[in-house]
Amino acid sequence: MSKRYWKGEEELRNDAEFVRLKNNEFYEHLPLDEIVSQKSESTSLTPRRDFLKFLGFSVAAASLAACEAPVRKTIPYIIKPEEITPGVADYYASTYSDGYDYCSVLVKTREGRPIKIEGNTLSTVTNGSVNARVQASVLSLYDNARIKNPMYKGNETNWETVDKDIIAKLSEISSNGGKIRILSATVLSPATSKVIADFSAKYPSTKHIQYDAISVAAMQQANMESFGVRAIPTYKFDNADVIVGVACDFLANWISPVEYARQYAATRKLNKGKKNMSRHIQFETALSVTGSNADKRVAVKPSQQGAVVANLYNAVATLAGAPVVNAPAAGDLKAGIEECAKNLWNAKGKALVVCGINNKAIQNLVNATNSLLGSYGSTIDLDNPCNLRQGNDADLSALLTELNNGEVAALFIYNCNPVYTLPSGKSFGEALGKTGLTVSFADRADETASLCQYICPDHHPLESWSDAEPKAGKYSLGQPTIAPLFSTRQVQESLLAWAGTPSDFHKYLSEFWKSGVLSRAGIGWEKALQEGVVELPQNAAKNYTSASDLNAAAAALAGSTGSGFEGVFYEKTGIGSGHQANNPWLQELPDPVSKVTWDNYLSVNPKDAREKGWNQGNIVALKAGGTSVNIPVYIQPGQAFGTASVALGYGRTAAGKVANKVGVNAYPLCSMKDGLMTYSISGAEIQKTVEEDYILASTQTHHTMMGRSIVKETTLEEWKKDPKAGNEQELFKKKVGEHKVELKKATEITLWDEFPKGGHNWGMSIDLNACIGCGACVVACSAENNVPVVGKDEVNRSREMHWMRIDRYFSSDFDPKEGEKGDLKKMEIPSDMPQVVYQPIMCQHCAHAPCETVCPVIATSHSSEGLNQMTYNRCVGTRYCANNCPYKVRRFNWFLYSDNPQFDYNMNNELGKMVLNPDVVVRSRGVMEKCSMCIQRIQEGKLNAKREGRKIKDGEINTACAQTCPTQAITFGDYLDKGSAINSLWDEEGRSYHLLEELDVQPNVFYLTKVRNTEGKKEA
Amino acid sequence: MSKPYFSRFLHSLIPAIFLTIFSFQFVNAQDGEALFNANCKACHAVKEKVVGPALEGVETRHDHAWLLKWIKNSQAVIKSGDEKAIKLFNDNNKVAMPPFNLKDAEIDAILAYVKKESEKQETPAGGAPTAVAPVKEQSKPIWPYLLIAAVVLIIISGILRSVQLTLQKTVRAKNNIPEPPAMTRKARTLYWIRNNKKLIAGIIVLLVVWGNVKGWYTLMSIGVSQGYTPDQPIAYSHMLHAGKLQIQCIYCHSGAEKGKTAGIPSANVCMNCHKFVKKGPTTGTEEIAKIYKALDYDPSTGTYGPNQHPIHWTRVHNLPDLAYFNHSQHVVVGKVACQTCHGPVQDSMTVISQYSPLTMGWCIDCHRRTPVKMEGNAYYTDFHKTLMERMPGDTVFTVKDIGGLECSRCHY
Repeated sequence: MSKRYWKGEEELRNDAEFVRLKNNEFYEHLPLDEIVSQKSESTSLTPRRDFLKFLGFSVAAASLAACEAPVRKTIPYIIKPEEITPGVADYYASTYSDGYDYCSVLVKTREGRPIKIEGNTLSTVTNGSVNARVQASVLSLYDNARIKNPMYKGNETNWETVDKDIIAKLSEISSNGGKIRILSATVLSPATSKVIADFSAKYPSTKHIQYDAISVAAMQQANMESFGVRAIPTYKFDNADVIVGVACDFLANWISPVEYARQYAATRKLNKGKKNMSRHIQFETALSVTGSNADKRVAVKPSQQGAVVANLYNAVATLAGAPVVNAPAAGDLKAGIEECAKNLWNAKGKALVVCGINNKAIQNLVNATNSLLGSYGSTIDLDNPCNLRQGNDADLSALLTELNNGEVAALFIYNCNPVYTLPSGKSFGEALGKTGLTVSFADRADETASLCQYICPDHHPLESWSDAEPKAGKYSLGQPTIAPLFSTRQVQESLLAWAGTPSDFHKYLSEFWKSGVLSRAGIGWEKALQEGVVELPQNAAKNYTSASDLNAAAAALAGSTGSGFEGVFYEKTGIGSGHQANNPWLQELPDPVSKVTWDNYLSVNPKDAREKGWNQGNIVALKAGGTSVNIPVYIQPGQAFGTASVALGYGRTAAGKVANKVGVNAYPLCSMKDGLMTYSISGAEIQKTVEEDYILASTQTHHTMMGRSIVKETTLEEWKKDPKAGNEQELFKKKVGEHKVELKKATEITLWDEFPKGGHNWGMSIDLNACIGCGACVVACSAENNVPVVGKDEVNRSREMHWMRIDRYFSSDFDPKEGEKGDLKKMEIPSDMPQVVYQPIMCQHCAHAPCETVCPVIATSHSSEGLNQMTYNRCVGTRYCANNCPYKVRRFNWFLYSDNPQFDYNMNNELGKMVLNPDVVVRSRGVMEKCSMCIQRIQEGKLNAKREGRKIKDGEINTACAQTCPTQAITFGDYLDKGSAINSLWDEEGRSYHLLEELDVQPNVFYLTKVRNTEGKKEA
Repeated sequence: MSKPYFSRFLHSLIPAIFLTIFSFQFVNAQDGEALFNANCKACHAVKEKVVGPALEGVETRHDHAWLLKWIKNSQAVIKSGDEKAIKLFNDNNKVAMPPFNLKDAEIDAILAYVKKESEKQETPAGGAPTAVAPVKEQSKPIWPYLLIAAVVLIIISGILRSVQLTLQKTVRAKNNIPEPPAMTRKARTLYWIRNNKKLIAGIIVLLVVWGNVKGWYTLMSIGVSQGYTPDQPIAYSHMLHAGKLQIQCIYCHSGAEKGKTAGIPSANVCMNCHKFVKKGPTTGTEEIAKIYKALDYDPSTGTYGPNQHPIHWTRVHNLPDLAYFNHSQHVVVGKVACQTCHGPVQDSMTVISQYSPLTMGWCIDCHRRTPVKMEGNAYYTDFHKTLMERMPGDTVFTVKDIGGLECSRCHY
């Protein structure tokens, strides 16, 4: 058996489009035939004569413009703030919390404007990592769609008027005893909760309702029934040897993904001292980021998920000698579930089952399973609960009823967008009309806010004072890093003003902290503000035994059988719930699994597509529960048979020009079942429509490496036997004597001269075992290096500008004997349920770079520090370098993306340009660019060391991608520093390898082989 | 020593003696000024209130003995319960005047100087020496000479031509050679060209060479603004501040040691001195008032108002965005003096001017020949060893040797 890797269905089928992309990296249509036949003269937009006129004019204009330098003004501060030195970045510890994502962050500011978000390493919750969405939030600050003033019924007004009106109305409502409701996403901030309490004290008929766009309310209910604690526990994946996930994308989206990804990766990393890794088994419907990283993934229909959990409980209970329940039949999944149970039982006390299904019965069974496995106190901590996702679906249902009955007198909507995210959003919107006073705190006139009477825009998190308690006892503080850009006001200040106690929230917050957290922790406000986090001692995690009625739970599951085509709705790592949909960085971030940008789609398994006669891009009508949407088909290997999946967060109508009309809104297809939000459907009708095929902008087959073997993979078992397993090098014949031939490594046969080494030799290591493909690095790189957003059309032309990409390879075990060599047809069946490997690829900084030798103007050259340098101002755009690059990492600027209204993204408006990093050039049209290994950071780090007269400390200089990586899969360092982390990772006799070693281009980036833990399989 | 030499020595001694006597005569007046500048100027001016009151007519307000006591130790006078002293102290915001260890004669000199200054009439320019020196010495134009030379040459060639014609005529008349047939102008020109091919070829070659050289230099100077001396919104003189007053460059351009830009000082930095120095030697109060206006500062009350407007300086040194330059790298690590690139700002620049071409060639030239200051900087310890191995025999390495000519050092 040998493994075959492929990037997409197109490659397997050898589609015409794929062949075109493969053979011609820079495909473009040149109208040569028309020019030759002179047909174009009359029809072309620019006839030849006009072209010559333009040419002459532009030459003359350019030479005139070049002669006279413009007069530039330089305007210093009137009174310079003490902490600002122009040209030197300041970092402020802060908190990003938008009711969906939470991260303790450091905000990099230049001359008083935030330009990048980095992780705060002092936080033990997020450990210095941030995900793609938080990373991109700095661009949402400079979003032109934000409203600039408070609004009343669509007209701009001012705060005095708003305050006067609302206070008058509230007093009237309150004196009549009318119901006042505050609807918000999860409020993580203790100070905000106090503000709401103050407001409620003034207006006693107030009730605060929290709901999450993606709800996990069932977990809270189940924990209440099982253990008497209404909470979401803290998970400790790092303590787990066996992890079983059921429909739970905990690495990318579920509850606290940044935290879990770090913990998970810690159990997956291998080195000379750590020979063991966790085993991860995933049951799920859509191929998720988490599922694609699992050692074993089982695709199940949504209707089977209950059966999986119940049977897993039974199998574990049997092993534990506990009573079993009457579980629904699991069919052919039974053997796999039992194997899984054995794995878990063998790791008793170090096992963990997590489940993302918003169903109380299922969650009760999961709790019981974890309880039998002794997970509480070890891998699950219920004594220090997690405060993310406090949404309560029951409260929400009650509110919806009240609203529909017209019982609510005043409704305040904070940090959520119910008209968009609720399945009954439309009726919610209608109900707003029956409510006396409707106030939204949204930053834009979104779907909900535009239907409210008042919009009292809240600051962006980077403009606000804030705090958060993501976990019991773990607090973090947020401070503004820029003065408010518009006439907005913190929601807390608005509520305090209306409660009749107007206060500066900064003062309010500091007093609240001084009397609370700080006095308990015994530290001062300044220190807390500087560090951004205050962490109090944690409670001891106790063991819990489930006390819920499992038979009732099993009985509840028995009724839920699926029928027909089933579907699930999921979140993408970029867009998430859709609240930051107007962020072009997130829209252009390729989905880790499908590699599609700028769209959502209906993913179906290739097998189903074959049977139903659907092709990629066919528009189908998806009908469920009386709602119908038209959506393009995407053929996704790994999708459970007989199911489809659609991402949430798309199809916004009032988010701004970037997000509007991108994709389809799938929230109306979700439903409220038994008082809980349900993100799956059964009995879906899918009909092919007559609409023209839709082109999905997928990057998966762009920049392909021509089918060369570049991913190296092995199993834990093999690796333990031979650390070099899966990492065999190709050997070449070399004539050594008259008639003697020896086998040599490629690096031993070289035509190249060595470059003299200087003071450093920078390099990078990427651990394929730790990389989960989440894409945080891609956004970090875009933010750091001013990478432009090019839009859907350009992505379709393979012109995305991302300096790094995460290649996603599918693989399947395949015996070449079955088919002729090179005949991939036989792979079709195993390819329906493939394994997945992620491989981040950026410029490999070859010591003998092929790009350098072909550049006619020496615009790309080698540095004495091991870097492959790209000099934009020298480049004339021949693109020879990109043709000669074996890794396909070079990107060509087809347009002046920064000043071209055709690319109406952040770089084309004054506000959006504020996010640009002033230390990196904004590239012009017609030049090549590529990863520079964050040369600006290297230069800055070297300069700091030189100025202080000391050596560079290892880890002091870090690239943007390595810094943000939630799993620390990327390590950057200096090979010449003997004690550096990168040197300790390089192990020639182990997992280290260079991409395409046989070319002997000697990259400075190396990879560590992917290892899969298949050991449990043997034991079972 | 022979007699003539001795007498020369004596002769030279006489002016020396005179000079010494004269200089002794001036000592008192200068002493008063110097003493005033050293001890009083930080808080006092003659005609206006600074921290302390204006000193004009101080001797008429207070008697001499009291003044001596007050100047030597004002606090002691206040403590002694002197009403006049207490009132003076209270009137001036209770800012204590420090005790001065001055002799009576020295105080007298100061008072004499104050008296002399008080009697001076206010003149708008302040009568100070002209600080406005030409930035560049105007070279005398040479074209009038060339014109005269050309006229002379034309006259001479005209005379020579007429001599030649006369001689030809004479020769023809003598040898009875008939007059050549009259030629048209065109034929004459062609005839001349035929006879002077070498001259014409030479002229063409010269023209082509001149054109190319001229064109090359014109092209190379595009975008090079060496000597750029734009008008600035405030007539700030580096020559006065950095030269005469010896203020360190870093005092105002503090960013030069910390980051990439040296920075234009914010107006509050100006106020460190100009809160007290309200009148300049060149432009009086006119230019300093512009700082006050920017800060909405009222010098009579010493308060700042809300209508502050930044000063729009004209940028002189413009590096293109594609080049990254860091001041601290050069100033702190490279220990390069500011004047190396910015020229003798303290000696000659009343208006700041771009001294260096700021072209890449100019940067590279310096990187090629400037040794790196490696000693005493632990960053370079290992690097120095590597370089010694790579280039045996060398101990001093230039910026080029540590990769200072590589593209990505400045372009990213």
